[in-house]
Amino acid sequence: MKRRNYLRTVGVGVTGVAAAGCLQVENTGDGDATTTDGGTETATGTTTGGTTSADAGPLRVATYDSFFGDDGTAGRWLKDAWEADHDTTVEFSAPSNGINQFIERKREGVGIDADLFVGLNTGELVRVDDALGDTQLFDELAGEVDGSDAIQDDLRIDPENRALPYDTGYISLVYDGTTVDNPETFEALASEAYDGTLLAQNAQTSDPGRAFLLWTIHEYGPENYLDYWERLVENDVRVLDDWQPSYDAFLNGERPMVVSYSTDQVYYNDEDQLPRHQVGFLNDQGYANPEAVARFADADNPDLAAEFVEFMLTDEAQRNVAVNNVQFPATTTAELPEEYAQYAYEPPEAVTFTYEELAGNVDAWTEAWARQVATN
Amino acid sequence: MDRSLGPPGRDELVAGSRRSAATAAGWLARAVDRFALPLAGAGTLAVLLAVFYYPVGTVFAEAFGPENPVWAILTSEFYMGAAHGLFANPLQVPGDVAAWLAEASIAAGWTGWLPELYVVHPGVRKGLFGFTAYQAALSTLASVALGLPGAYVLARFEFPGRRTLKSLTILPFVLPSIMVVVGFVATFGQFGTVNDLLAGVGLGRVQFLYTLEVVVLAHAFYNAPLVTRMVTTAWENVDASAVETARSLGADPLRAFRDVVAPQLLPALAASALLAFVFTFMSFPIVLALGGLQLATVEVWLFARVQQLDYATAAGLAALETVVSLALTYAYLRYEARRSAEGTGNPLDRHRLLDASGLREWLVRSGIVAYGVVVAAVFLAPLASMVLASVGGLEDPTLRWWRFLAERQAGGRTQPATAVRYSLLFSVAALAVALPMGVVVGAFSARGGRGRKVVDAVLMAPIAVSGIVVGFGMLRSLVFGVDLGSYRVSLVGPLVVVLAHAVAGYPFVVRNVAPMLSAVDSRLVESARALGASRGRALWDVELPLVWPGVLAGAAFAFAISVGEFDSTVILAGDGVYTMPVALKRYLVDRAAGPSTGPAAAMGTVLLAVTAASFVVIDRVGGRYQP
Repeated sequence: MKRRNYLRTVGVGVTGVAAAGCLQVENTGDGDATTTDGGTETATGTTTGGTTSADAGPLRVATYDSFFGDDGTAGRWLKDAWEADHDTTVEFSAPSNGINQFIERKREGVGIDADLFVGLNTGELVRVDDALGDTQLFDELAGEVDGSDAIQDDLRIDPENRALPYDTGYISLVYDGTTVDNPETFEALASEAYDGTLLAQNAQTSDPGRAFLLWTIHEYGPENYLDYWERLVENDVRVLDDWQPSYDAFLNGERPMVVSYSTDQVYYNDEDQLPRHQVGFLNDQGYANPEAVARFADADNPDLAAEFVEFMLTDEAQRNVAVNNVQFPATTTAELPEEYAQYAYEPPEAVTFTYEELAGNVDAWTEAWARQVATN
Repeated sequence: MDRSLGPPGRDELVAGSRRSAATAAGWLARAVDRFALPLAGAGTLAVLLAVFYYPVGTVFAEAFGPENPVWAILTSEFYMGAAHGLFANPLQVPGDVAAWLAEASIAAGWTGWLPELYVVHPGVRKGLFGFTAYQAALSTLASVALGLPGAYVLARFEFPGRRTLKSLTILPFVLPSIMVVVGFVATFGQFGTVNDLLAGVGLGRVQFLYTLEVVVLAHAFYNAPLVTRMVTTAWENVDASAVETARSLGADPLRAFRDVVAPQLLPALAASALLAFVFTFMSFPIVLALGGLQLATVEVWLFARVQQLDYATAAGLAALETVVSLALTYAYLRYEARRSAEGTGNPLDRHRLLDASGLREWLVRSGIVAYGVVVAAVFLAPLASMVLASVGGLEDPTLRWWRFLAERQAGGRTQPATAVRYSLLFSVAALAVALPMGVVVGAFSARGGRGRKVVDAVLMAPIAVSGIVVGFGMLRSLVFGVDLGSYRVSLVGPLVVVLAHAVAGYPFVVRNVAPMLSAVDSRLVESARALGASRGRALWDVELPLVWPGVLAGAAFAFAISVGEFDSTVILAGDGVYTMPVALKRYLVDRAAGPSTGPAAAMGTVLLAVTAASFVVIDRVGGRYQP
């Protein structure tokens, strides 16, 4: 008897959950506005009957997980500052596999359900164009955005002016100065003195990992970078899956050097921490990894989106996004607060690959590298 | 148990005698009685088709596309190692093997005291698949070696807290891998607990991390509990009278163990070893975080291929992984079918752990103490270091990470209590779906021959398909939806999360229940059927009470799988619906906390506490029904 009661209760539980929503049906019969809801977060209030020039919002921004949320995130600052001055609201979402999700949506003819994508890098933009060919996921944006000409020339990642950089990071080494000296050059890093000291990340899946690989290709060229990596691997470099575990291992003293960001001391600037958190630029360079914003060609609020990007490029937003995101501004006019700037180092020379240089190459470079490292 | 076993089917007889006066309610009751099992079976299939086979099928279809990725993989030396020759150029294989043998030589010599024999041979490239299988085999061995003594202690000894400890054995199972990595670095790192102890007693520090050994150990951390739990359940189900009979016929204890007890433990041991192999064969984050890309596995590659939008290769890799896992599953099922064990009855008496007399008993207990030390290092230390990290460690204790959680609770995007609530809601609901599914499939699997075993193996597919592929398939089919005329129908939201969790967890119920069901004397079921009971009624009244311990063990696993699940939760639920592991991952990248793992450790501690309490409740509440 008791077991039967148990089952009855469970049955009620399941119907209760069913009421929480499951099947979503959208009428796609009229027009080509195929909108399917990607989750439950934006389920209400987004009727798209006849887009007018005065976009009603809400502005929907797809980005990565750490960009938005609570106080102290760039997204939160942008949302609060924007909504204080405007009637429209800003809604963030973080699709589980980033830009790939939108490539896939576009391929399958499923609605995009977002106006802007924030956090695009050069390699990803190349991937978008490779995958979609002539189908435009994003449309031209720079012409509609006042202030886009203030973006630093060497950070511009898109020859077609769809993606506009809003901040940049510089990949560098972070090392424990009490254990090792700054290697200063790529050659020294591969020498015996630095045997078993470096932690890097998988370039196939991690942003700083890919940037570091590209940096070595920039230095040694596509013909010779694998030879250089052979020496690094002989020197017992460890290639972990992502920045978090490698940095955690560095903090635990497992290895005295890690591929990371040149803003490291922003978090570690106590007297006793500083010696353990030194920033090392190889060959006086750092690899620039700009983050860009782009507008979906299928955006429901195209004008509002352009206006928001314009706002992102204002000096005040540039400063706050950079500080909250622990990055640097992308424009020439913005300035960082003094207490932040003194611990955030820019490399003497910033290097990076352009869109044209990466197009058609980056996948092959990365896979050849991975196959060499993973030889079993 | 509030009912006795016989006479089964009495309700039906009574109902039959009153047929003339049958009311609508009576008719309904009989309809339910007759159709409950077929309906449950149909429901199981429907759920599997909707949230598993269909989504996964959309991805697997690419594996057999025009590019023929499966063949490309099989003939690639990188993926297959030396074995690629079997596919690329089979005629050349005998020659290659002969050449290899010609170059191999056996050398004998003296190394100090002992004569040494060594085989010198040219290296054999394992390839990605070969290495993956190799590390999975080592991990399985390690899991069995670490898990089996635990089953012995839990099943054969009585001590305070035994039941609680048994409930908690599968705790490691729910921990997100990112926290296991943090715990392992803190325990086995250069300056970790174990190395501090080694240095403290004058032995040097040892480099554990970034070796195959530590990856294998981390796999054992996850999978040894599986061995312990499944074998303990089987051991407690051994009929004491059979052992007594053997003893009274003159068998010594060892002989009695070998001939009576061991045959009943083997199916559970084999099943748990199989699961451990399949899991570690598809292991992903642990390998890269503790071993590095140098120790890459197939799943690591699969993930990278999906990231690069190379779905054909990814699907090819996943299909081959699944073939390996399902082939092993099928081989095991054939084996399981051939074992027949006696049913439950009165379990063996347990020895009192804290009460020993005689040299032999003392030796056994000192062995247990040594085992306890190993358990403390491998299981407790990583867990304890996570809890410690949530309070900033021993040297510099702080409550700021707990205050961080409290602040988020007061009004953040991700609130700990909400995560706890959704985790519990999903796992209880998933359990309610997974249990009937598992029992129905288990009943199907327990009887029948070769054809059924094939179907049974295919029904185990949720554990044999790469989690990355399942997630991607769900995104493409369920979230994006399908066009039906002028409508696009998508299947998302909390209920679908529950179904996805249930599908991931039900194979554990099946593998715990099926061996016990096949051991139930089929005459019991037949006589119930002869007396008019439907198949469903016989299962419910006769078999289920006899296999209840297996149902309970399966329930604990299904619950654990649901609590620990990450991918499908993120894909199918919206931003506002998040479970404990999702919250943990978000806190890990929370800018307000900087690069510290403190907030994630605090959330991990919450996760640990909530699931520990849940396991104890499941066993206590469920145990009341134990016959």
